[in-house]
Amino acid sequence: MSAFAVRRTSVFRGWDRFDYVIMLTSGALVLYGLLLIHSGSQREYSGPFLNFDNPVMKQAVFATFGISLMIAISRIDYHYFIHYSWILYAIGIVSLVALYGLGDSAFGSTRWFNVGPIQIQPSEFVKLATILLLARYFSEHGGDARELRPLMISLAIVLPCALLIFFQPDLGTSIVFLVTWLGVVLVAGVSRRHLMVIAAAGLALLPFVWTFAVADYQIERIDILVDPQQDPLGAGYNNVQSRLAVGSGQVFGKGFGNGEQTQLNFLKVPTKDFIFSVLGEEFGFVGAMVLFGLFIMLLWRGIRAAQIAGDVAGQLVAVGIVVLILMQAFINIAVNVSLFPVTGIPLPFVSQGGSSLVSVFISLGILQSIIMRHRAYRQT
Amino acid sequence: MATLGQPWQAPGGKSRTRPHSNLVSLRIAVVALFMLLTAQLFRMQIIDGRDYARRAEENHIAVDTILAARGSILDAEGNPLVVNVPLYEATIIPDFLPKNAEKRDAIYLEVERITGVPALEVREKVKSAESDRLGYIGISLATNLTKGQALTLDEASIHMPGVSLAIRPGRDYPAGPEFAHILGYIGKQTREEYAELRSQNYALNEPVGKAGIELYYEQELRGQRGGVAAEQDAQGTLVRALGKTDPVPGNSVRLGINANLQKYIYQLLDDHLKGDDKNRDARVAAAVVMDAKTGLILAIVSYPSFDNNLFGKANNDAAFNELINDARKPLLNQALTPSAPGSTFKLVTAAAGLQTGNITPASGVCVTSKVLEIKGENGVIYPFYDWREHGCINLNDGIAWSSNVYFYMTSCGIPGYARGLGKDPETSAVVLGYYARQFGFGQNAGIDIGGESPGTVPDPAWKRRVHANDNPEDREWYYADTCFMGIGQGDVSASPLQVARMTAAVANGGKLLKPHVAKDIISPTGKVVRTIEPEWTQVPVDARNLATIREGMHSSVIYGAGLKAGRSSVDIAGKTGTAEFFLKSGEKAQHAWFTGYAPFNDPEIVVTVYFDIGVGGEKAAPIAGQIFDYYWQEVRGR
Repeated sequence: MSAFAVRRTSVFRGWDRFDYVIMLTSGALVLYGLLLIHSGSQREYSGPFLNFDNPVMKQAVFATFGISLMIAISRIDYHYFIHYSWILYAIGIVSLVALYGLGDSAFGSTRWFNVGPIQIQPSEFVKLATILLLARYFSEHGGDARELRPLMISLAIVLPCALLIFFQPDLGTSIVFLVTWLGVVLVAGVSRRHLMVIAAAGLALLPFVWTFAVADYQIERIDILVDPQQDPLGAGYNNVQSRLAVGSGQVFGKGFGNGEQTQLNFLKVPTKDFIFSVLGEEFGFVGAMVLFGLFIMLLWRGIRAAQIAGDVAGQLVAVGIVVLILMQAFINIAVNVSLFPVTGIPLPFVSQGGSSLVSVFISLGILQSIIMRHRAYRQT
Repeated sequence: MATLGQPWQAPGGKSRTRPHSNLVSLRIAVVALFMLLTAQLFRMQIIDGRDYARRAEENHIAVDTILAARGSILDAEGNPLVVNVPLYEATIIPDFLPKNAEKRDAIYLEVERITGVPALEVREKVKSAESDRLGYIGISLATNLTKGQALTLDEASIHMPGVSLAIRPGRDYPAGPEFAHILGYIGKQTREEYAELRSQNYALNEPVGKAGIELYYEQELRGQRGGVAAEQDAQGTLVRALGKTDPVPGNSVRLGINANLQKYIYQLLDDHLKGDDKNRDARVAAAVVMDAKTGLILAIVSYPSFDNNLFGKANNDAAFNELINDARKPLLNQALTPSAPGSTFKLVTAAAGLQTGNITPASGVCVTSKVLEIKGENGVIYPFYDWREHGCINLNDGIAWSSNVYFYMTSCGIPGYARGLGKDPETSAVVLGYYARQFGFGQNAGIDIGGESPGTVPDPAWKRRVHANDNPEDREWYYADTCFMGIGQGDVSASPLQVARMTAAVANGGKLLKPHVAKDIISPTGKVVRTIEPEWTQVPVDARNLATIREGMHSSVIYGAGLKAGRSSVDIAGKTGTAEFFLKSGEKAQHAWFTGYAPFNDPEIVVTVYFDIGVGGEKAAPIAGQIFDYYWQEVRGR
């Protein structure tokens, strides 16, 4: 009976440890995104506002769902997820393999399943499962990556996913995977010597990868980045148009809904991969600084979570999530400002897309769980 | 379910390790990556933002050019000498062609059937454009299709993606070869021209004047292109029209050229040069008729001429090559091309002599032999020839009979008998050169059809300069150089236009006029926008001295060398010229000149006639007479 009472009251207790800054910044990012999606979809969608076909409404629904999940998951001890991570991981691998037979393609790449009116992109969830599995492995095997054996095993966890995604093909996401692994093993105290050996091996393999595994279109995209004018209507199109959009925004932007690049369809996928170009064009440098501010604030709170985490597993999960969000945001924006070849990575919280939004809020939920329990697991 | 206070025990056992606490590198990574993005944004949006904004603007605003109707060119009576016509052009855009090679070949064959351009040639052009990555630019296959071909192509092009009919503005010159040098022609802009004209708001497909009036009055004739600006989206769909500017047609240029006179003179020269064997020695000829008071050109003929319609046409290589290879150089305007002016130049020598006081009208010399032997530098004996034994003559007869010896005396002097224009042959040449330049020799007259060469007024400095790399003795200025210069021989050269201009200055009391073919500029509504006003410089020769020279010219036509120019219709004064030169074969030959004006006491027009081979008094004078006759009877009388 007393156990029951504890359980009843616990739902209303402990919210003082909940990180409201994370909640507010992520909410602000989502709202910013809704605004941009509205601007970017004006010519595509002209139906009633309150309709699931309206990309803004659809995103809002997913956001509400995601935030609810975050709150719910924050109540659950993250060790549950870590413990069952291998099941999540296995489901992830299976669904990635299944994509090759059953998935739907867009822009020459097969990345998602169609389930009724929504599309599910497994790679978004596999990212999280992989982070959890890495954390579990390290916490169960000495808690660090100082030895070569655990390091190699951790790499063996990440590589299958990275390769499966690489061959979808989705170069960007596979890079996000590898960088996330790198972030986690760095915090787990990897020896610099080991890392250099792996880096050397990777470099040695690069020519083979370049020849046999990198698709022509990927090389072309890298070429295009160097000289987008060589084929302005072909492969260089997105790059040229996003440059024009961002650059022409200047300091204060052209104003909400006034960006010609956006409104006259010069930007492809203006609510997804190129949503930052819409922001750059309509809200200018100032608008971009606001976005950067929100991201930095959010990531800072994530790093704080890693700092105060009660145990190694929590810390590594927090680090993985921070690196994951950082790398996705960085690569997406870098593509928009011509610092990185065009690759289909969404801007977390902002880009239109349910899978991305839900998975990133699940990540935040786990982060909240780590923050709320850091005292319980603190060991002396 | 675990509570916040109770650690959940995983089946695998409790975490045993302490968390690492050094996360500084992660913080640095966050800041560094966002700094990198900020730096790039700063570059794009703030440093290069203005440039991007302009390019984004161009990106979505499409401007369709509407070319203005080019202004007309009219003769003195207002009849058009040119007609605007559409030029039909077959173009092909490689990027729009089907990818399939067989389908492409079928298109090439169809193009060959309609336009006559060989399919293989089309294929080669497409291939080379594609290998240069220029497949998005239209290639011009044939530029002068007939109307029938154009219609067929236009219809057939529906089934031939990539092939289309383009219509460009062109010019037809129905007036004939008589007007070719005056009118010039238009053509496509060259790459270099476009680079320059772009700043003057020219469209790439806008034709531009290439020669003659078409070139000189390009800015008047061109008009202002209009355009339709529209905002378009990425698919090229027009979103909204932004505005339309109507083109403004170009102004017309009305010439002073009397078309009948021009044709009459051309016919006259043509008859004369194509006539019987006796007359066929001359190969090229020119004539200028100029208003003696304003410099307005009434006729300017260069023979032989060419068909200026050739330049707008495609597949005219044969005709064009024939033109280029013709030894008579029909493209060259003979009226603007210098050659030795011979005795016509004696008018300048006379003016210099009178003005410097070296001679007076009464100064005389006796020519009793056709050869005058003069001891020159280092005791060399120069034999100077005259063309006949004139006897004892004064200035009036000297001009009338065109005595060489008289003008040797005036220019270089006869040692022991008379001094030259200066203290020595060199200064004499400098003084004569000064007057020659004052009369417009050695410089472009500035006629508004272009194509002039300035000709030469030699002097010691000039000789040293052009013979700088030759033997020292070739560089030196000799006594004989001054003498030959005095009679318009040696290194002196002048174009018929320059001679006409000089004659007008003598006739009108010293006004050296700037010749102009255009009379006025007329707006599309028919109003005169601008009249080309006469421009002149005053020649530094007293009116009294010019009157003396005019008397001599009068005598020349009444009883002297220019007798054959004399006409009953009007009282003419003039001067013949027969300039000796050597043909390429080494044979001696002569240029025939006559330049004169009428009426004698109130000059209205100047006529200058030039044949590359012939004797002035025999060949050029009668033609000039006929021109005066025609003018007085057919042009002026009406």
